[in-house]
Amino acid sequence: MSGAGAQLFRIKGLKSGPTFLFDDQAEFVDIIAAAEEELSRASGFFRNAPVILHFGNRLIRKQDWQRLKELLLREEMLPRYAVAALQESRDILYREGLPVRDSLPRLTPHGRREEPAAPSGNALYLRCNLRSGQKQTFAGNVVLVGDINQGAEILAGGDVIVFGTIRGMVHAGYPDNTAAVIIALSLTPLQLRIGPLIARAEDNPKRSRRAQQPELAYVNEEHIMIIPYQGKR
Amino acid sequence: MNGRVIVMTSGKGGVGKTTATANIGLGLAKHGQKVVLIDGDIGLRNLDILLGLENRIVYHLVDVVRGRCQVRQALVKDKRVPDLSLLPASQIDQKDAINPDQMRELVGQLREDHDFVLIDCPAGIEQGFRNAVAGADEAVVITTPDVSPVRDADRVIGLLQNELGDPKLLINRMSPDMVRRGDMLDRGDVLDILAVPLLGIVPEDEEVVVAGNRGTPVVLNDRAKSGQAYSRIVRRLLGEDVPIAELSGRRGIIPRVLDSILGR
Repeated sequence: MSGAGAQLFRIKGLKSGPTFLFDDQAEFVDIIAAAEEELSRASGFFRNAPVILHFGNRLIRKQDWQRLKELLLREEMLPRYAVAALQESRDILYREGLPVRDSLPRLTPHGRREEPAAPSGNALYLRCNLRSGQKQTFAGNVVLVGDINQGAEILAGGDVIVFGTIRGMVHAGYPDNTAAVIIALSLTPLQLRIGPLIARAEDNPKRSRRAQQPELAYVNEEHIMIIPYQGKR
Repeated sequence: MNGRVIVMTSGKGGVGKTTATANIGLGLAKHGQKVVLIDGDIGLRNLDILLGLENRIVYHLVDVVRGRCQVRQALVKDKRVPDLSLLPASQIDQKDAINPDQMRELVGQLREDHDFVLIDCPAGIEQGFRNAVAGADEAVVITTPDVSPVRDADRVIGLLQNELGDPKLLINRMSPDMVRRGDMLDRGDVLDILAVPLLGIVPEDEEVVVAGNRGTPVVLNDRAKSGQAYSRIVRRLLGEDVPIAELSGRRGIIPRVLDSILGR
């Protein structure tokens, strides 16, 4: 089954997490084609899996990344961070909202993985309503001007700020950043997730929860807390 | 002539798409518009029953698309209003018997000699939906004020918005008493979530069921509340500025008299 494509694009389960290894010599178009083939063979196995993208010594151009990003979006995968040896590649990827590092992390004595910081100067800015069945995925912070309706989802590596109402599902700090926060003008979600934690709406709310003020969700000692947002924290 | 092509859709089944199509179509025809209704629900045809035309069908949509007959041969003229005709669905074929391109071509032909082409979309968001939407340039989304139809309407609006822009919303089966008791979403709740322009609200009304079983759409019944609501919706579609009355269960005599004077 493993043709020439398997050499250009490989999937490895490393200690630091599932990693996609991209050959750094061949044409990027061929690599994309190989990746497409491999991933379709995996048929959704990596859906929503936090993957590391390893580009080796390749100089990644913006259009390369755009094409790869399309593929990843189609397969509903969220890159956790990218590894690129060249500073120039790292700069480009960072500007595109991807956390970067120059090599795979060594595991610390406690077995904890070091995570590179999400790009702070770069957020996905959206001005629309996310309707049922629509999903936005982004490795960094997300700012949405509009509502997230029931059945819609946001999956973000960083914070999620919503100037509107959250009725659907928001996952901030994906996959394991518990420092991420969710802020919304009106917070009536079915479920909130921050990092590895999940909070869900009450089963039998005594009153329908219709918050009259902006609220902030954050992680406090392994629990997701929701407090009124006072403009600072 | 270059008629308006409007698809009537909802996502969820059973919220009143077909009833709305029959009533709005008949209402438009009563205003002297040339209207054709396309039953897009191939395999589960219903529109002919609501219009009381089931015994006059000779050819159907799939016959036309397959070239087994001319379009005008398949059109069933309404027995009350001659400006209304129906292109029935096939009852034996499957949804994939036609494709979006064929639908576009058919609609293109029909709009040439009609003012309105209304397409009754099947429930769901699969092939039947894609066919029904293909030839349309406007959409009306129908929902009832309940949580799951609203979520499905939201999904459909999201799918439509890319190609057709904002659809108009028709809220069906609104029960003022239940809204007042807080047991049903009110119009504000629905509009908050769906955020599209409101075309009208049709109250819950037993007359609709009776009318459907008899094959005489309720819009023909001036005394039925739902019939009046459909008449107002028709006038709005024709560009008239008809205010959307706040529905309430028991109202004082004065507002009711005012309404009847103002024709609301």
